[in-house]
Amino acid sequence: MDLKVSIKHGVAEKMQIIEAGIQAKDYWKHLWARRELLFFFTKRDIVIRYKQTIIGASWVLIRPFLTMVVFTVLFGSLANLSSNGLPYGFVVFAGMLPWYLFSTMLSDCSNSLVGNRGMLTKVYFPRLIFPLTNFLVTLVDFFVSFTLLIGMMIWYQIVPSWEIIFLPFFILLAAILGLGLGLLTATLNVKYRDFQQIIPFLLQLGIYISPVGYLNQLVPKRWEIIYFLNPMAGIINGFRWCLVPGALALNWWGILYATFFSLASLYVGIKIFKRSESQFADTI
Amino acid sequence: MTYAIKVENISKKYLITHGGYSSGSLKEIADNFLRKVLPFSGSRKKLLDTTQISYEEFWALKDISFEIAKGSKLGVMGRNGAGKSTLLKILCHITEPTSGIIKINGHVSSLLEVGTGFHPELTGRENVFLNGAILGMKQLDIKRKFDEIVDFSEIEQFIDTPVKKYSSGMQVRLAFAVAANLEPEILILDEVLAVGDVNFQKKCIDKMNEISGSGATVIFVNHGVDAIKQYCDQAIVLKHGSLILNTTDIDSAIESYLQQ
Repeated sequence: MDLKVSIKHGVAEKMQIIEAGIQAKDYWKHLWARRELLFFFTKRDIVIRYKQTIIGASWVLIRPFLTMVVFTVLFGSLANLSSNGLPYGFVVFAGMLPWYLFSTMLSDCSNSLVGNRGMLTKVYFPRLIFPLTNFLVTLVDFFVSFTLLIGMMIWYQIVPSWEIIFLPFFILLAAILGLGLGLLTATLNVKYRDFQQIIPFLLQLGIYISPVGYLNQLVPKRWEIIYFLNPMAGIINGFRWCLVPGALALNWWGILYATFFSLASLYVGIKIFKRSESQFADTI
Repeated sequence: MTYAIKVENISKKYLITHGGYSSGSLKEIADNFLRKVLPFSGSRKKLLDTTQISYEEFWALKDISFEIAKGSKLGVMGRNGAGKSTLLKILCHITEPTSGIIKINGHVSSLLEVGTGFHPELTGRENVFLNGAILGMKQLDIKRKFDEIVDFSEIEQFIDTPVKKYSSGMQVRLAFAVAANLEPEILILDEVLAVGDVNFQKKCIDKMNEISGSGATVIFVNHGVDAIKQYCDQAIVLKHGSLILNTTDIDSAIESYLQQ
């Protein structure tokens, strides 16, 4: 859609032109103009969760908490893996927060178009609003479960030092990586529904090949380069480091790689999404 | 008089697939790929032939051109599959034309299907705001118009009840009330009157008259010729994707539609 403002009879009139293959020059401006809708959708999704489920918001807390208990017993007590002197439950939870941020972001975004099929084929607004709604909702969920981590740090008397200022960077990286890959798979999902099955499966594997239930410091040095090819390894490593920089070492290769990978996936995700956007209603 | 919408040589092509795995799976790609790389010989050829996919072009719209003047009331007629919905979807930006150009003067507000964007768990009140936002209305404007919307829909009593408990008639009334009270410059309505009762239909027609009376343009698709006869001052008739008539003589348009 192209917006041209022409002056006729002294009155400013907006003239819209619809034509094949026209890509809005003011793509981002249009999106910005509809920001109110984005916040409406976000609010709607959050309100609905509170309304529909009895436990409502606490669901965001219960899921990571129970997973943490299981992982702590499994990896900490049974396998007796090293935690560098840190409480094992804390180690697991500090890995799970960024992991769930990423994985929820990816799976929700990848379903955002197919799940809104009815609206997609009946009303027009910038299509990016669908995945962006999931982006905001998932971030809100993240901050709710983040309070559990704060509670845990108080309980274990872990005092953060100045390195905590880098924490938002790693939160953002996990979110961006999830969004970027989510945009890509959302686009693919429109045509090939296979991704609805593939994504949950990959994420299930991902939680084990990422340092969620254990410290990445346990991975032998010679395997590190390969291990950190998974961008979530670097992100979780950095996230934990921000919380307890004294106890854990930073893996620079992993973090640089994850930063590059996340930005690249966002760039590619947006590009592919934008390019296919006009076909969504016809192919979905 | 200036135009509200000018449609120039619009065509829309769809590809229909026959046979094979056309349901949209990766297997489709894999099969196509195999077909390209593997030598076609013996039993393999036979095997692949059974899943042969062919594509057929289907022109939902063929070279449509017409103009709607500002403030006029256009009725779109045509049998199922004539291309009415495709035309409206193109006008609403939902899908792109394959070729041709459309010029639109003014903000388009559309009601293509009742309750699109209504969330069943939310109350009527919440849905009014949500739906308004979907249609591109500012929150302040919705607030200002809220009483008018509720009043028109005649469901004051249930405005704080979740929409899932509404009857379909109640949902239409609320949806129409939102779209019609947005002060649209161009209002596109697809089969909305099919659900409401006679009284409400009359009320809708009155409201649409009020809207077009204030200078807005209304595009109206309806199978019932009565509503078009009552309301429209211009009509187009579509048949198999082509425009066969564009006239201000509603009676002749209805005749041509009924003769199909």
